[in-house]
Amino acid sequence: MAARPALKAVLVDLNGTLHIEDSAVPGAQEALKRLRSAPVTIRFVTNTTKECKRELLERLTKLGFDIAENEIFTSLTAARNLLEQKQVRPLLLVDDKALPDFTGIATNDPNAVVIGLAPEHFHYEMMNKAFRLILDGAPLIAIHKARYFKKKDGLALGPGPFVTGLEYATDTKATVVGKPEKTFFLEALRGTDCTPEDAVMIGDDCRDDVGGAQKAGMRGILVRTGKYRPADEDKINPAPYLTCENFPEAVEHILERLL
Amino acid sequence: MAAWARAVRGVLLDISGVLYDSGGDGGGAPIAGSAEAVRRIKASGLKLQFCTNETQATREKFVKKLQGLGFDISVPEVTAPAPAACRILKERGLRPHLLVHNDLVPEFAELDKANPNCVVIGDAAENFTYANLNEAFRVLIGMEKPVLIALGRGRYYKETDGLKLDVGAYMKALEYACDVEAEVVGKPAKPFFESALAAMGVPPQQAIMIGDDIVNDVGGAQQCGMRAVQVRTGKYSIQKKEGAVCFILKKCRDSATKAVEEMKSSSFQGGCPGSNSPLHLALRSWIKVGQFLLGLQRQEAELQHGADRRCKSFSSQSSPPGLLAFQPWGLLSSALLL
Repeated sequence: MAARPALKAVLVDLNGTLHIEDSAVPGAQEALKRLRSAPVTIRFVTNTTKECKRELLERLTKLGFDIAENEIFTSLTAARNLLEQKQVRPLLLVDDKALPDFTGIATNDPNAVVIGLAPEHFHYEMMNKAFRLILDGAPLIAIHKARYFKKKDGLALGPGPFVTGLEYATDTKATVVGKPEKTFFLEALRGTDCTPEDAVMIGDDCRDDVGGAQKAGMRGILVRTGKYRPADEDKINPAPYLTCENFPEAVEHILERLL
Repeated sequence: MAAWARAVRGVLLDISGVLYDSGGDGGGAPIAGSAEAVRRIKASGLKLQFCTNETQATREKFVKKLQGLGFDISVPEVTAPAPAACRILKERGLRPHLLVHNDLVPEFAELDKANPNCVVIGDAAENFTYANLNEAFRVLIGMEKPVLIALGRGRYYKETDGLKLDVGAYMKALEYACDVEAEVVGKPAKPFFESALAAMGVPPQQAIMIGDDIVNDVGGAQQCGMRAVQVRTGKYSIQKKEGAVCFILKKCRDSATKAVEEMKSSSFQGGCPGSNSPLHLALRSWIKVGQFLLGLQRQEAELQHGADRRCKSFSSQSSPPGLLAFQPWGLLSSALLL
């Protein structure tokens, strides 16, 4: 670690790290304030297929966090950036709530397909439509490839199976834009003048947050809150740069040791 | 004519995309010349079995539709996945949860479906809703060792109003969701081709498969030791964009000039039928048929290489048969019958 340059950027996961559902991690607001007093750029990064930035921001503000909308980078933002970069018009198979994050993107006569978690769109007719576009050369962009998620009444299929089906039918590979993809972390740093070596990622998901960030060249700090389970830190190799109790402790470490 | 072509005693015919394009109000549209070609094959004394992955209807209903379109076809002449799956389910004492087309359900009438211990997925078309897929998923994920049986693994097919996702895409979705591998009944599974061959009483070396799907028809049949021919109807026009066929055709063109030269030479004319015969005309008008008969051996290495890029399952084939894309239906039947 001695060879590392001084830290310039801190990426922070949201749910499970700053807050858990509708309650803040104790002391997290204060810790964020202390971090802001240091000369580092802060980005809040999260995998979401449903909530647009505005909704995330409202929740965080309500919980007492001092955050600006342009500091938030989500898998939806990553998808949007990719669409702009490729200059394509997407067929958006995402939840209606996510649509505000695509405001201004032309969707007429689509030549790309974006898939999030949108059960209402995953039906025969829409899948055929997406399939034909991809077969005609439209890129397939997946917000993420989760197999399933937990609902109140049981397990339910995530976007992953539908992405996989389309990949098989068209013999293509989707571009996955969320964590733990390397491009997600690099995109999150875009416009900050920081390289991955200058950055640290704090999160509660060992594979997606810490493992992904470390593969992208960053340091990763695992917090024992949210979805953390004992021995999670053993799941990745190399191990997390650091594992600590919670976000406030991670901030203390950064302020004392990494600046 | 190549020696093997004289030895052909039986023909396996794919249906959708070869005999007709499905969909639309009338249930589909016959492909020009195909009904006549079926009649000619039958009249020639060649054994004929229809080998389909069709799972949108019972065989009875499907055959009735094809008869209505002018085809000489009967139920025993059709090898289809659902009856084959029923046999397997019975043998293994499996009680299926069905994710299939409504019209296929009667094929499973005899089976106990209470408290299911496997999922059978077919081309369910409009029944491929999120809710139905989720239900099948929950049955599978709730089993200690999930059993998923797929009626075919086709990626897509062509209907009169465009291309449609086939059962394979949804099979893959469930495979991924539950981390299982489906057991495939239907093309390209070897036992399925073998049961079709058994129905004709013809060994694979003496049979030829004709289809529009490079993986499920051509690849599957070749894995069984049969010769296979790809027709340029149905999904062909789409598949050719996808690499392998493109590659093969390019190679074909490279050696097409050679084929013409050979056709003009005595080596070919020696075996050539009368100049007014359909084959002769076909050869003159359409270079690929000539190459089919003349350049077969030469192509094999190229074919193997090209097919490998597309379909790994080809790679273990010890004697790769000829693959060619045929355009007008009549030409092919002419070539075979002469």
